[in-house]
Amino acid sequence: MSREITIVHLYPREMNIYGDMGNIITLVRRLEWRGYRAQVRSVEIGEKFDFDAADLVFGGGGQDSGQQVVAEDLLKRGPALRALAVAGVPMLTICGLYQLFGHGFKTVQGENLPGIDVFNTTTIGGKVRMIGNIIVETKDFGRLVGFENHSGQTLLDDGQESLGRVVKGYGNDPKSRREGAMSNFAVGTYMHGPVLPKNPRLADFLIAKAVERRYGAGELEPLDDTMEQAAAKVASGRPQ
Amino acid sequence: MSVPLTLAITKLAGALSRGLGRGGGFALPGLIAEKLDPNLSGKLAAGLSGGVIVVTGTNGKTTTTRLIAEMLEANGIAVVTNSTGSNLKRGITSALIAAADRRGRMKATVGLFEVDEASLRLVAPQVKPKHIVVTNLFRDQLDRYGELDTTATLIGEGIVATQAELYLNADDPLVASLAKYAKRPDDVHYFGIEGAPVNAVGVHQTAIDSDRCPVCRTRLVFSRVFYGHVGHYKCPKGDFARPKPEVVITNVEEADPNGSRFVLAISGKRTTYTFSLPGTYNLYNALAAVSAGQGLGVPPNLMERTLASTQAAFGRVERVEIEGRTLCLLLIKNPAGFAQVLQTFVIGRAEVRAMFVINDLPADGRDVSWLWDVPIEALAGYKSVIYTAGIRGADMALRLHYAGVESMAADSVEAGIGALVAATPVGGTAYILPTYTAMLEVRKLLGRRTVMQGMSR
Repeated sequence: MSREITIVHLYPREMNIYGDMGNIITLVRRLEWRGYRAQVRSVEIGEKFDFDAADLVFGGGGQDSGQQVVAEDLLKRGPALRALAVAGVPMLTICGLYQLFGHGFKTVQGENLPGIDVFNTTTIGGKVRMIGNIIVETKDFGRLVGFENHSGQTLLDDGQESLGRVVKGYGNDPKSRREGAMSNFAVGTYMHGPVLPKNPRLADFLIAKAVERRYGAGELEPLDDTMEQAAAKVASGRPQ
Repeated sequence: MSVPLTLAITKLAGALSRGLGRGGGFALPGLIAEKLDPNLSGKLAAGLSGGVIVVTGTNGKTTTTRLIAEMLEANGIAVVTNSTGSNLKRGITSALIAAADRRGRMKATVGLFEVDEASLRLVAPQVKPKHIVVTNLFRDQLDRYGELDTTATLIGEGIVATQAELYLNADDPLVASLAKYAKRPDDVHYFGIEGAPVNAVGVHQTAIDSDRCPVCRTRLVFSRVFYGHVGHYKCPKGDFARPKPEVVITNVEEADPNGSRFVLAISGKRTTYTFSLPGTYNLYNALAAVSAGQGLGVPPNLMERTLASTQAAFGRVERVEIEGRTLCLLLIKNPAGFAQVLQTFVIGRAEVRAMFVINDLPADGRDVSWLWDVPIEALAGYKSVIYTAGIRGADMALRLHYAGVESMAADSVEAGIGALVAATPVGGTAYILPTYTAMLEVRKLLGRRTVMQGMSR
């Protein structure tokens, strides 16, 4: 019997903009190519969900209009998700859910959407939309490439690690030249693209942590990433 | 500046640009006019005795505009349209300049323009359309507009600047909700489908664009889905529900990749139509055109004739013969359109031969993330020869790879066309699916090998 990894997909109906589904496809395939069975379980608003089986948590971005209902529901699941993050469950949140995994999001209209404090970050709605190709230099995953599209500006508290330094593009906000946040094995980022297909090192980091926690330490079988690298190279050469 | 002087300058600039053979010169007169006299389009449009009709929405603008133009022309009405040019404000101004004589008198009686969703609010206050058609709202080039709800609001801003009759897709919740911007409830006319085959290939279930109630944000309940989020819906909490359409396809009797036959009812009166364009998405374009045609007083027999004989617009289902093979060009712009094209043409063939040409220039949408919202997985398991090309061909190859579909990277678009032709037996068909700017390149390359319609422009 092949070994199984459970990926929890948060709010796929609300938070699935800009091809974020590609991140799930990537995680599933890269697990399957290594002989694991990937079970994707989605959590929708108002649904009962037991996070105990979660090996990996993913959440994407959505339209602003969907974010408020999501924020209300997410708040109820905050303690469970925070406990998972502390326990070392790998997580990836993009854009909208990256924002709500921090302390909260104050919108341009002055609304305050409280977050669940996985990251020590605060997001403030801005008037300028930060759109374009983005390259980020990270300590653990090398150069990451993606496409950002957000007006929220995310500020990191003192001591909160970022995902990396912006080489091209905006990142968390127009000034700091920092992008994303990382706490334990939870990663938050503004990078769509989607981020994982063209950044297999990040994908494999999440997979490795999930496998390690469930089945004990061991090396992930390497994959041929020629196509991934070719696409990343082209994307990196595109103008901001 | 006086209208004749502005016209003289802008017409000269257009002629010079065309004389120099510069590409993209079509929008130049409009661009210059915006600087010299920002109100020029309004002044010229005021001279159109039959008024202005505008078509907007994500998909189907070009085809719908073309169908309406053909109906009006069949009815003996001279139409000025931007069908071969830009659908931004400058493109509409350019079309008006081209249709005006030196003094600014119009050579046409009706203006018919396809207008970019975000540009309607700039165009409408000027040209004061009497009729506005909205086809559908899907995710498209979101890097430009932000988000889908924003796009709907932008269209709303355009509508409120007019007193127009609205022709809205009843089956698209966000489009139907635009009725709230109408001056009077009587100005709103809906079109929709009652019965049609339901497509097997949807966009990923999770990537449905707009299935929330535009009033209270509750998830809508669908009793039927024709594609994407287009179907019969109702809010489980409030009053919002699919409005009853006046112009309806009640039943599709036959459908294949060459077209369809269906029963269409106008205010309850049923007629059987044959239609030369295939796919569910084109049924909606036909409905939009008939709905507007009805409002414009086009006799039903002329509408029937138009639908039976129309040819696909530039790059949308264009068939080209090369060395005894048929190459079929299918423009792809967004996940919904891509899924429809796969469903209509590619899936179910004994052997799939295709090339995907993906660019990321501004007219294509600079963010290629949307490729991951397309259910490419539907291609897995078919015997296939697939090439990828274009600026972001590598992204498409990666997407196919993760869908379990193997492909080959062509060194260039030209090499890809050559390889595709070579891989196709004489008498066989291959498909080329390009994004917008890639389509222009493909047509140019094909034009060197064969005669193509409209290539002399």
